[in-house]
Amino acid sequence: MVSGDPINVILLGAGTGGTSLLELFARSPGVEVVGIADKNPDAPGLKRARELHIPASQDVAELLSRDGTGLIVDVTGDPAMAEFIARHNPRGIQVLGGMTARLLWNLVQHEAGIQAQLFQAAKLATIGTFTSGIAHDINNPLYLVMSLAEDMADESDPGVIRDHARDIVQAVRRIAAIVKGLTLYARVSSADDLVGVDLNGALDEALKMARYATVLNEIEVARDYVARPVVRGRPEEILQVCVNIVTNGVQAMNGRGALRLSTRREDGLVTATIADTGPGIPRDVLDKIFDPFFTTKEPGKGTGLGLHIARTIVKKYGGLIDVSSHEGRGTTFRLQFPSAG
Amino acid sequence: MVDVFGIPQKNSRGRVLVIDDEADVRKSVTMSLTKSGYEVIEAEDGQQAIGLMNSGDNPLAVDVIICDIRMPKVNGIEAVSYFRAQYPSRPVLVLTGFPDIQLATDLLKQGVVDYLVKPIEREKLAAAVESAMTRSRKAA
Repeated sequence: MVSGDPINVILLGAGTGGTSLLELFARSPGVEVVGIADKNPDAPGLKRARELHIPASQDVAELLSRDGTGLIVDVTGDPAMAEFIARHNPRGIQVLGGMTARLLWNLVQHEAGIQAQLFQAAKLATIGTFTSGIAHDINNPLYLVMSLAEDMADESDPGVIRDHARDIVQAVRRIAAIVKGLTLYARVSSADDLVGVDLNGALDEALKMARYATVLNEIEVARDYVARPVVRGRPEEILQVCVNIVTNGVQAMNGRGALRLSTRREDGLVTATIADTGPGIPRDVLDKIFDPFFTTKEPGKGTGLGLHIARTIVKKYGGLIDVSSHEGRGTTFRLQFPSAG
Repeated sequence: MVDVFGIPQKNSRGRVLVIDDEADVRKSVTMSLTKSGYEVIEAEDGQQAIGLMNSGDNPLAVDVIICDIRMPKVNGIEAVSYFRAQYPSRPVLVLTGFPDIQLATDLLKQGVVDYLVKPIEREKLAAAVESAMTRSRKAA
């Protein structure tokens, strides 16, 4: 629980430590980053701050002169900085620096590591729920490979043998594509710089995964995509968001219904909408769906982390996620990100 | 392939109806069983299979039914209950891409004679069909 007015924080230092703290503060309720500064104009935290619409500066003195600051967090690691702050802090704003800042940073790094592990574990648990569909989609072409090979073994017509060989190659390609999709999804999120991720591609890839989650395959899919709705992020994380939401939609329809995937790009924002014709989410449940470990699925069918993870990732990239649902008619999720296109 | 519910070909060891939504699987079953001396009729889903079973002059001319579980329209579980109720003397084999012990138990309780998992070797499939065929003849 958070009480009282938000703490307005100025971050000094936009290197690795500053960026981690910026990410944490940006998604923490009750904390408002009012500015970030670093001597190095290429510091990663400054770039990230601009993406999050947080004022970024190279002028520490100017930043310190602003009104309304409640706390200065100094993670520059520069011993001269403490003295500089003392000279430019006439109002005596509390400063968190030196060893205490390092302690805070260590805790943040630790928390980030645990969260990354949790998200990865949740992803692998989701793959567990896809087992039946994956086995089906791999064993069918495998069966074709086996029966064609058996047939070839006692076939003397070179034409038939050639046709069979061609069919085997195609079946193996289908299996390889399934495995490739799965490894792409299961991959640990890279710590590399953010890249442009096309939401259309992410939604399409997510749909392939989600199909494994249903026994029946009578879902009509309508796509209404705009060209190049690109967001900045890590591809694995954006895919995880899409897989979690599309899978929920497909599972809600219990294999029968209509799924509408659409993307839009306007006013510097990119929006993806995922609408299903499932039974809808009851009003009293709607407030809880983003809470960690909240699930309405049977044991073994869901971790209760899907939407929580989706929201955490979306917020990390300066986006928002919302939901509208009508009982008996279906549910629509909307993801919105700053455009990177 | 033969005319649906036509007179079984000479020298045929029997007639098998295979129900699977994937053309690849139907092709595999047909290839394996034809080589083993059976005639094979194919249906894409439970609905089409039920239609076929009820449309011929002599619907019981099918000796064995091989059915997938994961299919659109009438799914495999629904189709199996239908065949068990309507044609209790026709043995039903389930051929699935995903082995599920609970489902297998439920289906065997419903009277399914065998629960086979893809990919299956030609000889094993033929042996399962032959064993089901023997039951079918005893029942007739």
